[in-house]
Amino acid sequence: MTEVQPSKEVAEYTEVHRHPEPKSFLWKYIFSVDHKVIGIQYLLLAVVAVFVGMALSLLVRLRLVCPECSYPLLGQFFPVGAPEGVMTPEFYLAMLTMHGTVMVFMVLTTAPQGGFGNYFLPIQIGAADMAFPRLNMLSFWTTFVSFLLLMAAFVVEGGAPMSGWTGYPPLSALPEATLPGIGQDLWLASIAVFCIASLLGALNFIVTTLDLRAKGLTMMRMPLTCWTWFVTAILGLLAFGVLLAAGVLLLMDRNVGTSFFVPAGLVVSDKVIDHSGGSPILWQHLFWFFGHPEVYIAILPGMGVTSHVLSTFARKTVFGYRAMVYAIAAIGGLGFVVWGHHMFVSGMSPYSAFVFSVLTMCIGVPSAIKTFNWIGTMWGGKIRFTSPMLFSIGFVSLFVSGGLSGIFLGQPTIDLYFHDTYFVVAHFHLIMGVAAIFGMFAGLTFWFPKMFGKMMNEPLNKIHFWITFIGVYAIFGPMHYLGMLPHPRRYAEITSVDYLGATGAAELHMFITVAAVLTVLAQFIFLYNFVKSIFAGKECREENPWEATTLEWAIPSPPPHDNFAGKVPHVYRGAYDFALRGAKRDFAMQCNDDKAVYGEPAPQTSGD
Amino acid sequence: MPATLSPSEAPPVTSTGGGDFVTLPPVQGGDWHNPGGDRVVQRYKLGVWIGMCGILMFFAALTSAMIVRQGLSGDWVPVAVPPVLYVSTLVLLVSSFTVERARREAVAGNTEGLRRWMNCSAGVGLAFLAGQLLGWQELAERGLYLASNPANSFYYLLTAGHGVHLLGGIAVMGYVWVRIRASRPWPTRLAVVEATALYWHFLDVLWIYILGLLMFWR
Repeated sequence: MTEVQPSKEVAEYTEVHRHPEPKSFLWKYIFSVDHKVIGIQYLLLAVVAVFVGMALSLLVRLRLVCPECSYPLLGQFFPVGAPEGVMTPEFYLAMLTMHGTVMVFMVLTTAPQGGFGNYFLPIQIGAADMAFPRLNMLSFWTTFVSFLLLMAAFVVEGGAPMSGWTGYPPLSALPEATLPGIGQDLWLASIAVFCIASLLGALNFIVTTLDLRAKGLTMMRMPLTCWTWFVTAILGLLAFGVLLAAGVLLLMDRNVGTSFFVPAGLVVSDKVIDHSGGSPILWQHLFWFFGHPEVYIAILPGMGVTSHVLSTFARKTVFGYRAMVYAIAAIGGLGFVVWGHHMFVSGMSPYSAFVFSVLTMCIGVPSAIKTFNWIGTMWGGKIRFTSPMLFSIGFVSLFVSGGLSGIFLGQPTIDLYFHDTYFVVAHFHLIMGVAAIFGMFAGLTFWFPKMFGKMMNEPLNKIHFWITFIGVYAIFGPMHYLGMLPHPRRYAEITSVDYLGATGAAELHMFITVAAVLTVLAQFIFLYNFVKSIFAGKECREENPWEATTLEWAIPSPPPHDNFAGKVPHVYRGAYDFALRGAKRDFAMQCNDDKAVYGEPAPQTSGD
Repeated sequence: MPATLSPSEAPPVTSTGGGDFVTLPPVQGGDWHNPGGDRVVQRYKLGVWIGMCGILMFFAALTSAMIVRQGLSGDWVPVAVPPVLYVSTLVLLVSSFTVERARREAVAGNTEGLRRWMNCSAGVGLAFLAGQLLGWQELAERGLYLASNPANSFYYLLTAGHGVHLLGGIAVMGYVWVRIRASRPWPTRLAVVEATALYWHFLDVLWIYILGLLMFWR
């Protein structure tokens, strides 16, 4: 049921969506300024990137279980990295680096924010487009250039960089220390360009949220998705500039001979390096000042989608909406003061480590508030187990599992043992990688009918969910145990490490690899479902198939070019008005006034 | 919240010289992020304010890197600021006045004045950049290159970083020039000019900060 106000308040001079609907393919789908097209462009970029990243992780897994195995096809593509199809240790590290980089930047940063945020932030706040549509287009295409630069690192001489997604110097700063080539330079250029794209995008998101909200939509009535996109944009704005500066410094260390990060007297291959006085720790500080907010950039939008979906399918209002908002803000704020917990073993003063540790523990408070409220939202609700709901519940599960190990790693004394072991790999994959991915799946299955006017195949979605859910636990659960052995990360092979051989590490690796292969295969179920549903899915012209409350469900599917078809929505209530007493339906959309919700005569309670 | 403005109340499009120009009426009531005033202008200026935060973080990162790097080891040789920088600083201060003049011409709807003062500002901006190049040249003549010493590295980096942002401002001024010459209507003209002026003043202040850093944190 639509309750969009007639177009009295539209002023063509003041509206951003001044541009008419383009007709030619180039302007409609390629260089589009429409936030919906740009959102889908971001999503498609992320889908391509996520399959690249998955393929890389498979290579990593295969190298771990069988260092000497030959894959002739691989040898044809990478004659240097995999001569006769056998992966070298350097190649292993390069794949590892590119897996991390592609996943963190091109998937976890682009899809939740650039993809879903771009598509749904303007609609959920009742705007016709982002505040600066052309800047938006520029952000996407800059991101695309960054992706191409990163992919180019595969094909240049010397191959992809192998210094990890964190690019620690001196390995990343010294061309002498790795295979000769410009892979690392391309990596740095890609990251720098990505920073610029993200800064422009963040600017756009913040202004849009502050300036383009519909009448009646106060900040405290915004859907939690909008809150998370907003806070994520603030994090991006403040974090990416720092990474950009660090990237420029590192690029100069590599190519101009400056010494920001390279210490004096370093000997590489029996030669003294011509650098003086820099500090690799300086890079770590700059990198992690960005890097820690980055993990919240990846996970916050997933939290927003989860809150949104849980409330919709539990048919209950979000438990403690205000607390959720404050928790989002607290997580964002604390995210900037805990970067040191990535550097406990860098030789920092125990007092600094103590401060970083205490602050890190503090993040447990808003995180626990969120988890508690998610459970509170579901508690006693009439839960509808749709696939977005399953993925959201999966998100909560993974967030708790991954978050608990974070409390271990946040203690300097325990981290001394766990640092750079598989325990860390397990921790951040569960909480930052897979939980965020589940948030994306929840968002995609939830908004798919709105974006494409079709339904996804629900049974296939559920099969995909269960295999993936069990699969990721099978992959990352055993890694906790590996970490306790302790099995170090980033080792290309463990065949000659005796203490690991006796503890069954090799068998566990085999188990993990099999689980990984099966989980990756299951993603093709999703890909098939996604592509098939776009072109041949069941038609869904219904505006509000999920009986949800927010503004995007008050407009046709897919939305018209200017979202509200020349009208301006008016918001009368908060975003999660479910289970209303005395109402005609069990929910009220944000654009429904009391008369529409309760009929005549209106009772005293508004349910706001 | 959108401006309360129905199409019938929309202001007339008045032709002023080269480009068409719409004077937008102030928003009635307004709220905290848009206290009266022109809506689009406010939005563009808000964009610049937000952008400033990002740029500031970039320079904050360079500053902290500089302070840390200086404290790390004994290879830091302070570099004396080339005197030409004092001249270029004055030049940049002058450009802030010319930009402000251009902005006022735009507010008054005077296209000819806007064009003149905007071009003037772009010219003064380029003169500032020429001064920066002279500064680099002087350093090079002293034998101080980018990688000679960390102090020099930061000198080049900070000035170059500021210069690139200034070039961005000059590019927008060029855009203003092009759009004024074009005959198409340009409803966001005032907003672009206001945003450019704000950005330019920010770069001015940023430069004073960088100069102070180079002079006193040696």
